[in-house]
Amino acid sequence: MSGKVFTEEKMNVVNTSVEKVDGKALIQGKPVFTDDFDIPNSLIVKILRSPHAHAIISSIDTTSAQKIEGVACIFTYKDVPRIVYTRAGQGYPEPSPYDTFVLDRKVRYVGDAVAIVAAETEQIAEAALKLIKVEYELLPAVLDYEHAMDDGAPIIHDESEISGAYDPRHNIAEHYEMKVGNVDEELKKCDFVVDQTYYTPNQSHAMMEPHGAISYFDPNGRLTVITSTQVPFHARRILKRIFGVNCRVIKPRIGGGFGGKQALFVEPYVVAVTLKTGRPARCIYTREETMTASNTRHAMRFRVRVGAMRDGTLRAIDLWGLSNTGAYGEHALTVFMVSGSKTLPLYNKVKAVRFGGDVVYSNTEPAGAFRGYGAPQGMFGLDTALDELAREMKIDPIEFKLKNSIREGETSPVFKIMGEGREGVDEIIESCKIEECAVEGAKLFGWYEKIKRPRIDLKNRVAHGYGVAFAMQGSSIPMVDMGGATIKMNDDGTFNLLIGATDLGTGSDTILAQIAAEVLHTTVDKMIVYSSDTDMTPFDKGAYASSTTYVSGNAVKKAAEKMKEEILKAAAEVLMKSPNYLYLEDNCVVSGDGKKITFSELQTKLFYTFNQRQLQVTESFVSEVAPPPYLVSFVEIEIDLDTGKIRVIDFLDYIDCGVTINPILARGQVEGAVAQGIGMALFEDHIMDKNGRMVTNDFFTYKIPARGDIGSIDVRFAKSYEPSGPFGAKSVSEIGLDTPGPAIANAIFDAVGVRMRRLPIKSEELFFEMKKRGVI
Amino acid sequence: MKVELTVNDKKFSVEIEPGEMLLETLRKLGYKSVKHACSTASCGACTVQLDGKAVLSCTTFTAAADGHEIKTVEAFSENGKLSPIQQAILEEGGSQCGFCIPGLVVTAENLLDENPDPTKEEILDNLKGNLCRCTGYESQTRAILKAAKERREK
Amino acid sequence: MLNVKEYVKPNKVEEAYEIGQMPNAFYVSGGLMVAQLKISKVEHLIDLKSLGYEGIEDQGKEIKIGANTKISALMSDKILLLYGQPFRDALKEIGSMQIRNMATVGGSIAFKLGWSDLTTIFMTLNSKVEFYDGSFRKESLEAYLVGNHKGAIITSLYVPKPSGFWAFEKFSKSTFDIATLNLGIKIDIQGKKIKDARIVVGSRPMISERQEEVENFLIGKELNQMIDKVGDQIEKIVKCGTDIRASAEYRKALSKALLTKAMRRVEDESRVNGQR
Repeated sequence: MSGKVFTEEKMNVVNTSVEKVDGKALIQGKPVFTDDFDIPNSLIVKILRSPHAHAIISSIDTTSAQKIEGVACIFTYKDVPRIVYTRAGQGYPEPSPYDTFVLDRKVRYVGDAVAIVAAETEQIAEAALKLIKVEYELLPAVLDYEHAMDDGAPIIHDESEISGAYDPRHNIAEHYEMKVGNVDEELKKCDFVVDQTYYTPNQSHAMMEPHGAISYFDPNGRLTVITSTQVPFHARRILKRIFGVNCRVIKPRIGGGFGGKQALFVEPYVVAVTLKTGRPARCIYTREETMTASNTRHAMRFRVRVGAMRDGTLRAIDLWGLSNTGAYGEHALTVFMVSGSKTLPLYNKVKAVRFGGDVVYSNTEPAGAFRGYGAPQGMFGLDTALDELAREMKIDPIEFKLKNSIREGETSPVFKIMGEGREGVDEIIESCKIEECAVEGAKLFGWYEKIKRPRIDLKNRVAHGYGVAFAMQGSSIPMVDMGGATIKMNDDGTFNLLIGATDLGTGSDTILAQIAAEVLHTTVDKMIVYSSDTDMTPFDKGAYASSTTYVSGNAVKKAAEKMKEEILKAAAEVLMKSPNYLYLEDNCVVSGDGKKITFSELQTKLFYTFNQRQLQVTESFVSEVAPPPYLVSFVEIEIDLDTGKIRVIDFLDYIDCGVTINPILARGQVEGAVAQGIGMALFEDHIMDKNGRMVTNDFFTYKIPARGDIGSIDVRFAKSYEPSGPFGAKSVSEIGLDTPGPAIANAIFDAVGVRMRRLPIKSEELFFEMKKRGVI
Repeated sequence: MKVELTVNDKKFSVEIEPGEMLLETLRKLGYKSVKHACSTASCGACTVQLDGKAVLSCTTFTAAADGHEIKTVEAFSENGKLSPIQQAILEEGGSQCGFCIPGLVVTAENLLDENPDPTKEEILDNLKGNLCRCTGYESQTRAILKAAKERREK
Repeated sequence: MLNVKEYVKPNKVEEAYEIGQMPNAFYVSGGLMVAQLKISKVEHLIDLKSLGYEGIEDQGKEIKIGANTKISALMSDKILLLYGQPFRDALKEIGSMQIRNMATVGGSIAFKLGWSDLTTIFMTLNSKVEFYDGSFRKESLEAYLVGNHKGAIITSLYVPKPSGFWAFEKFSKSTFDIATLNLGIKIDIQGKKIKDARIVVGSRPMISERQEEVENFLIGKELNQMIDKVGDQIEKIVKCGTDIRASAEYRKALSKALLTKAMRRVEDESRVNGQR
């Protein structure tokens, strides 16, 4: 395929907003989520959780609890396999420390699991929880991750079995550093330098469906787990590691994940119960458990130093960070590295770059994967610092960032140095429309007129500000992420598309069907999609790293192209023509002289009467590159000068994600990510009490943006085509979260001259800052 | 205690615990569309109509609903034929993971029954009790405006 | 599910009150409070809706609102149209459509929750509460809030017919959220001077409270001359606390902001609508 030319192929199905294949079921409220399955004879599983941030269980007595009628079994740390693992849903061998047990004698955060109870009803299980007698030996806790590495800080992971952690005796789960050139030297030569520290919070995913899983032995005795997960295949592997059993993992429809379900949470509890009792077990988390006892985004602190020459050339970038991985280290290294690997290459023209820092344990809720996966944290620091630099140099921030950002045909040394927890892969950018995003976006937004407007309106007691932010992400992790697809032809003209890829509401089932339908010259309604069942579908690493469209999509395309070959070969036999003389059109194979045979007729013959065989193909795909999408965001905010309240008025995302397989679904991904980014920037704040208990543990206290909180979001797609992507597509799902934080912070500075370097930006803090500086 | 409930025009005589919530009862009766997402009356995913008015089933005692009429989202599509609101949400991409959708449809149906021609502001205002984490709300607002127009034209 | 022994629907208020005297008994009107308060030890749930006390009556000098009237009914009621759009706008700030379809006037007041917007609204309008605690009694809403009425059942709210101008302001983090601070103001003007003022601040985070010192500051003065002065007054005087939503200092600053906004709206209204 040609590299830089945007191919205006006529597409029948791809780049069309077809209705989601699961749409009708969802809109009618059909029972398709984990908790909707009624399995007779199920035990309800509840977890006893630690009220202490750091403690040793000196004794645990379940005798009274066991005596309650209807209690089937209770597990403590003495009753479960002492196998160390990581909860992280990642490719094996996982680049995360193995520091977790199903139940441990030590508890490491308020909410950590202490015991598993299975009973006939929820009430009985809850009554049993209350009767379990636990004595704790309290230990001093590390509640502030900025002090986790202090001398004398309590050691959170002192277990002998731990492996893969950098220096647990100093609470360092991971350490990483890399450099190109000499940042200190370069900064000395710069005309302008910004040196500031930025903070991002431990945001909660707040997906609408809490975590949950059901396990049971099917009639043939096969252990089956239905779970709300993004990583069914990793779940299967980890369950095997812990319990030594083979099982089937099925992902039904799930009510959102955003990375919060890219790990093992509930599954070990229900499997333990089913293995012991032979009975189905179900465990559905409450909102409080999902909030406090699953995972959050890694809170991070970055010291950013950036330096430029007065002509606007960026010369050096230094990002030095501290990341809070909480009580357990899943995703610790990889999220941290992405803060650099998916931000720094954007500014590839620098002479020197350095990235590094520590990921520390603390006695707080474990952090894990969350959409953006480090890039929102890194980009908040980097983009805001660049904005500060531009302002100091009195250069338009758009011009400054655009001048120094990467273009097609270029590369960055960071690609090779930084991969997923290990070295990465060299990459030349084949599609990058960041210029269009910046220039056309600015036009559309009216940037250059808007910035001429007065900012402060004392009469109406408001201030207006305009901010811009640039971002990149990735499309899978090259040489690591693999997806498979199977296509099977049926005698009624339909195809079964079996994919491991995990649809978490993103619509991957739909776009993958579109890709297959496009290649096979059929329609989506003829593609019967079945996904994420470890017994029935080929492997896919799961929904993360913005890889489904790109990797799973390429796997599906490959499989469809192979299937096309098979169809042509078979049709050639039937029609007695050369396959070169045949082509696919409209569910048929057509020959140059007008003869045709429908898919249905063909496979019918092949089932019963003619050279009988089942046409079926399986293909896999792993990428050698991970072409980044690019985004330029523009925001207008309004600040109430009397209260400090920040309102997002208008948010424009101009994005290059290659070709959109389904424009409405792609747009939905961006709009949703923007809303989450606005949440991270302005709303979502976790508050802990002095004992480490999370006070903001429900939607009443933890406010995600509500319908009236987001202003209006507009999304435009650049005309782009990624040659290595299926039909020119790249990824789109995560990048939208990278820009709201910096864009809004930049807009606030633009409005009132106050630089907020910690997210979320609270109206109270802005108010008092404005007062301090005499703005109001 | 025993209560009489009419759900989507179907009558049920149910044995319940006195402190049982309507959400639990409805799911036990097979209405799995009614979702459990928060239980602090903060998200709207459990919304059903009680005598035509949108209420939160997670904080409604089943005993209080005794003798009343309840509608869940299943009431709005007969034999797979979707209501204008449902069709519009599908067309505009307003349903991603779908978990908030039954509650949203039920509330939107109530809104359009009471106010057939809402402004965008009124839609945002009246549906603010229905949180969505996936869509960023834009597509749903577009959908409801579209559905309102379609309903008026019918 | 709450582990309760019984859910009763008494027909007479005396009966309801008697059961309400038992230990671990809890009144249910809209029902929302039960979930919010996460009560673990409840044995008797007493549904007050079967007592009636629902509906809105014009009683000449005042309007009587039954305690079991839902907030959504207040918004669509014809009699309450007398209070104009500001009243409906104020009610719209409360919760969500679903919450307004469930929450009742009595339920919103009875639990004396600090963040109750309805309490601030009705206190600003100089409402009286009628309640039963062995006999029927009537008190101003502000007296009711500070009194001890354990086990009492609110039966009606009496609101004087509208006079003067009033406004309600609510500040919250999210548009679907309880108030970080709420404020109501009602001003009666005679000639050009403020004859009477009621200023109520709620969600401090403590319960709604009249700001009499600030009210007195306004009386006898001209409205448009006070707008830029009264804010500093209330910021100094109002008593606020710190919680997870805001610091006391910020709440005080918000009082100033909300009062100033409310005063501006009242002033606009008084110019447009003339005197009442």
